[in-house]
Amino acid sequence: MATPTRSIANEIQLQVREKRPFTIFTVLKNRWFLYAVSITAFFLVWDTVAYRRVFGGGLARPQEVITQLGKMMVDPIAGKSLLGHVWASTQRILIGFSLASIVAVPLGLMMALNRYVNAFVRPVFDLLKPMPPIAWISIAILWFGIGEESKVFIIVVGTFVPCLLNSFNGVRLIEPQLYDVVRMLGGNRRDEIIQVCFPAAFPAIFAGLQISLSIAWTCVLAAELVSSRSGLGFIIIQGMTLSRPAQIIGGMLVIAVVAWGMSLLVSGLEKYLCPWKREVMNQ
Amino acid sequence: MAYEEVKVKTPLGLRVLPFASLLLFFGTWQAIIDFGVVPNTMLASPVQVFKLFLLKLTDPNPDGAVLMRHAWTSVQEAFTGYILSLLVGIPLGLMMGWFVVAEGLARPIFELIRPIPPIAWIPLTIFWFGIGISGKVFIIWIAGIVPCVINSFVGVRMTNPTLIQMARTYGASDWQIFRQICIPSALPMVFGALQIALAYCWTNLVGAELLAADNGLGYLITMGRRLAMPDMVVLGMIMVGLTGVIIGVIIDYVEKRLLAGIRR
Repeated sequence: MATPTRSIANEIQLQVREKRPFTIFTVLKNRWFLYAVSITAFFLVWDTVAYRRVFGGGLARPQEVITQLGKMMVDPIAGKSLLGHVWASTQRILIGFSLASIVAVPLGLMMALNRYVNAFVRPVFDLLKPMPPIAWISIAILWFGIGEESKVFIIVVGTFVPCLLNSFNGVRLIEPQLYDVVRMLGGNRRDEIIQVCFPAAFPAIFAGLQISLSIAWTCVLAAELVSSRSGLGFIIIQGMTLSRPAQIIGGMLVIAVVAWGMSLLVSGLEKYLCPWKREVMNQ
Repeated sequence: MAYEEVKVKTPLGLRVLPFASLLLFFGTWQAIIDFGVVPNTMLASPVQVFKLFLLKLTDPNPDGAVLMRHAWTSVQEAFTGYILSLLVGIPLGLMMGWFVVAEGLARPIFELIRPIPPIAWIPLTIFWFGIGISGKVFIIWIAGIVPCVINSFVGVRMTNPTLIQMARTYGASDWQIFRQICIPSALPMVFGALQIALAYCWTNLVGAELLAADNGLGYLITMGRRLAMPDMVVLGMIMVGLTGVIIGVIIDYVEKRLLAGIRR
């Protein structure tokens, strides 16, 4: 967006605050009040549904989930406590994610900067791109067995695509005026790349990393669901085989928290590393 | 002619390189199997895959269905989930963008569910729906709904405030502003969601079928692994990619047609 827009919500709130002091109506329309109502209602409905056994024992009550989480913290499952399983999944993601980004980001930059590299890599990449990473699980197991390598391989395959595409597009979508400025000031091709390309493509690269991270979570879970002895996917699938819904839901909650924390970490890193990024409308 | 037509010549290298790279890719793939660098139990050569493709068009053995039936099952599941997620997600996102009450009530639950990868729902889904089609549709629905809600929400929020203030000045009601200003201005973002949601749906369909299925492309891949037939695995992967591309092209066409009347 060329012109900075203000959130509509701000505008409405200001008006409401001026016009209406403190009535039941304003309380009912207060955002935080509604949030609280929503969360409470969610847990109440969940508890009622679980208590009435609408899904025939396929849903645990919230307090059972919390008890189960506490139990998993202390009692190890398959030789590892809950934190151990969290670390097992995180470790796989970190290895696969860093391998993929170390190869894919420079490759994407090179493809954008050099037509010949692009012409050579692009067709093969386009050929492999439409296959969902989860479809690679079977072949990964055929190649690497059911150990760590196959899981890391799937994560690498899954995260490679968004990393490469985003760094490629990041360079491609740089405003041409920026190049003109550097040329006017007497810079050569090298200056263009170092002074303009890298800093301008940085936000796009980070957006790619952010997408990769969520895909990495999907991949690692899928791999662990198919075959594994550790990790959060294993906790969920074991909950299924032992028909313990509390364990499944507990595992899902832990996944949500860890995935959310990791994406928060990446966006924090982005703010720290590239403060020149323009503020985009918050979602 | 008023101006001269300038022809930009692409260098020979640039025109040849894409074909060379594809040729090299398939050549290496065929060669590492023919010369035994990679054993045939781990990877099938392109020729073998193509032969199996021709065979599977008519022969339901050994996995119980012909190729087109697998593909049709997958497409059916993906589309049901996709359409449902559009039907629920887009109106929800639009409402969340404009009405404070809708946002306040729906957002916390949405934020709670959003970071959970759809794949993680599989075990619960099997408990709730069994391994039939409804379970898979549920997972695809969850996968597709997230981008729908986010995109339409952001689309409404990005409406030019000047337009809204103008409408207010002329005495438009909340509902009128929502219907006549917010929704049209959010449409490009909403159509963008069509493509993203489809990609999510398709990825997660394969995941859902890998675990629990008796039919479909993901099932074909799993059976290939169980029977130790690498050619079947590769065929399944190629079919998933190909079908995904075909659906993507169709959706892209629909999106272009829908967007044709909208100026941005």
